[in-house]
Amino acid sequence: MRTRLFTAVLLSAVLVAGCGRGGSEGGEAAEQVSEGKATGEITVWAMGTEGEKLGEFAKAFTAENPEATVTVTAVPWDAAHQKIAGAIAARQTPDVSMIGTTMQGEFAKSGALDATPPDLFSKDAFFPGAWDTTVVGGTSYGVPWYVETRGIYYRTDLATKAGFPDGPKTWDDLKAMAAAMQDKAGAKWGFNIQPGKTGSWQSVLPFAWSNGADISQYKFDTPEMTEALAYYQSFFTDGLSPKDLPQGALEPAFVKGEIAAFMSGPWHVGILKEQGAKDFAVAPMPQKKSSTSFIGGSNMAVFKDAKNRDAAWKFLAWLSKPAVQVRWYETVSDLPAVQDAWVDQSLSGDPILQVFGEQLKSAQAPPAYPTWEQVAAAFDVEVEKVCVAGEDPGTALKAVQGQADSIGTGA
Amino acid sequence: MATATEVRETRAPTPTPAARSSRRRRRALTGWAFAAPFVAVFGVFLLLPVVASLVMSFTDMRSTDLRTPWAVEFAGLDNYARLLSDELLAKAAANTAIFVLFGVPLTMLVALAAANALNSGLIRLRAVFRVGFYLPVVTSIVAIAVIWRFLLDPEAGLVDDLLGLIGVDGPHWLGDPSTALGSIVVIAAWRNFGSLMVIFLAALQGIPQHLYEAATLDGAGRWQQFRHVTLPLLRPALLFGAVITGIGYLQLFEEPLVMTQGGPLQSTLSVSYHVYNQFGFGNYGYASAVSYVLFVAVVALSVVQFRLLGSRDD
Repeated sequence: MRTRLFTAVLLSAVLVAGCGRGGSEGGEAAEQVSEGKATGEITVWAMGTEGEKLGEFAKAFTAENPEATVTVTAVPWDAAHQKIAGAIAARQTPDVSMIGTTMQGEFAKSGALDATPPDLFSKDAFFPGAWDTTVVGGTSYGVPWYVETRGIYYRTDLATKAGFPDGPKTWDDLKAMAAAMQDKAGAKWGFNIQPGKTGSWQSVLPFAWSNGADISQYKFDTPEMTEALAYYQSFFTDGLSPKDLPQGALEPAFVKGEIAAFMSGPWHVGILKEQGAKDFAVAPMPQKKSSTSFIGGSNMAVFKDAKNRDAAWKFLAWLSKPAVQVRWYETVSDLPAVQDAWVDQSLSGDPILQVFGEQLKSAQAPPAYPTWEQVAAAFDVEVEKVCVAGEDPGTALKAVQGQADSIGTGA
Repeated sequence: MATATEVRETRAPTPTPAARSSRRRRRALTGWAFAAPFVAVFGVFLLLPVVASLVMSFTDMRSTDLRTPWAVEFAGLDNYARLLSDELLAKAAANTAIFVLFGVPLTMLVALAAANALNSGLIRLRAVFRVGFYLPVVTSIVAIAVIWRFLLDPEAGLVDDLLGLIGVDGPHWLGDPSTALGSIVVIAAWRNFGSLMVIFLAALQGIPQHLYEAATLDGAGRWQQFRHVTLPLLRPALLFGAVITGIGYLQLFEEPLVMTQGGPLQSTLSVSYHVYNQFGFGNYGYASAVSYVLFVAVVALSVVQFRLLGSRDD
């Protein structure tokens, strides 16, 4: 009796797992969106600060579309991936979700996201690097909502003492400046960059891209990459970057002048000001063949299982208006993904933001493959070996290549 | 498994075999009816996922197949073959072996020492200490992580400050691959010994006093009493403790997750953490396969412990 039940369960599970794989659709055509104002309830999931603030913010949308309401559920970042994946499996998705740019490939590949209607959104309105993160297999599945990028924060007073009053312009400058900050300006560490570990690919890739590397086809074992990683490593071997800075120690050390420069994104402006930092500026990524940074941020996507699809896309179209993007920046300090928003005084009047804004025009994102997160994790492991344990960059990249080849693009 | 226990008949006439079997069936049905809610919940929420993940471990299921599970293909033993050449898994398995080899004895020893100290009457304020030893068990892992990270901080940490007093330059405990694993073992032992201690304490208090009196009359000292009276009688509790902690350390996950994220240089990556990462990457088939290998390891370790510690007469 019991064994028969067991067999039945097993068989049903097997049946679910059986049959051949359906070919995934390439170059999907998006459906039209109806004319007129949005109506009905639009359910939205959003993470972090965005999840906390969007509900209030979206009341302005209801003011313009009296018959539409936006219900926002705040989802913690840690649980986001799992929650969205679970919703997709159960076909119990909201209408819209914020999607981290690095998750986009995976969820688009699952066939759960609705293709972006081209009559509502123009590709050219957004930063090209941001738009690219929505494109999977030639079709866009969502729109960029906000963006971030990386630059070089440095103490202007120490940089002046070190002989670089305007910050570093080239790779050689950055190196010389970091050394002089220690020798002439009395800093303990000239330049802080991430010694591997989670997310360090976001610090390494800007150097690789500035050196002309191309990873869009998962090619890591290249001369351009190797040279960039060797340059990255030299900050550790020359004793200019700390190998094991404890969490939360960076900002106080920067304020005290113990760390003279570091690489980070726009969110650090607020943190530094909070901690009382005054004399600092941001330089764009130093030039090698180009000055190319990393573009991150989040997109907004509509699910195929959405109950209120048309209104959902109308809501995203509203979020993409330059004026609304500026208001959103003023609400949570998220940088606009829409280029026209940047002409507004609140952004163009700020010299630090201008540096980030300029970087965003050319900044690149990793390829939107479903397996990127996994390849990135393998990459992070090798970067850590290079920075902390002195592994040869060439060997490390061969290992990354081996991993990437065995993982595959998943596309 | 769940046959209704026979209740002794009090009525004199013996019922016919047919009547007896129908009554027995009715009783069995009654039993099943009472057990039904549990069986249903257990089946749907435990048995089914366990079986489904076993099946999944023989497929190439990925998160991108979530909407179309019927399109998943059988991969035979591919996942299990891949697991053998997974360098990170090898590293995680080596770390996990160290967790078990050092964590289990350490936790057992500390728990046994604490239980004995509380039982011996050597300590005043016994209740205070009992609560104090048990507190880490019920404290949130996040709070524990914050406190320990602060204690072990190389700049402001109390541990390195104390070492500095005796002229030792303390390492960056959690930031150095050579000390991070040891730090995690110690923190895990500190966090978990309390629950074992309570079990040992209960077992100690169950040992009849007259055995110790008899041993004293025979001229046994404190150590000999412990060796020849306490330990043999604690054997079942020790076995239970060893099996439970063994399973716990094989599945160690929370401490590396919140303290070190598996770093530095993967030195604190555990097998469970690796499985968690693989699920996160959407490799459901592969992650299930690794889970099942871990499950087999748990069973194997428990069997070994039963062999080594189990009483000779069962």
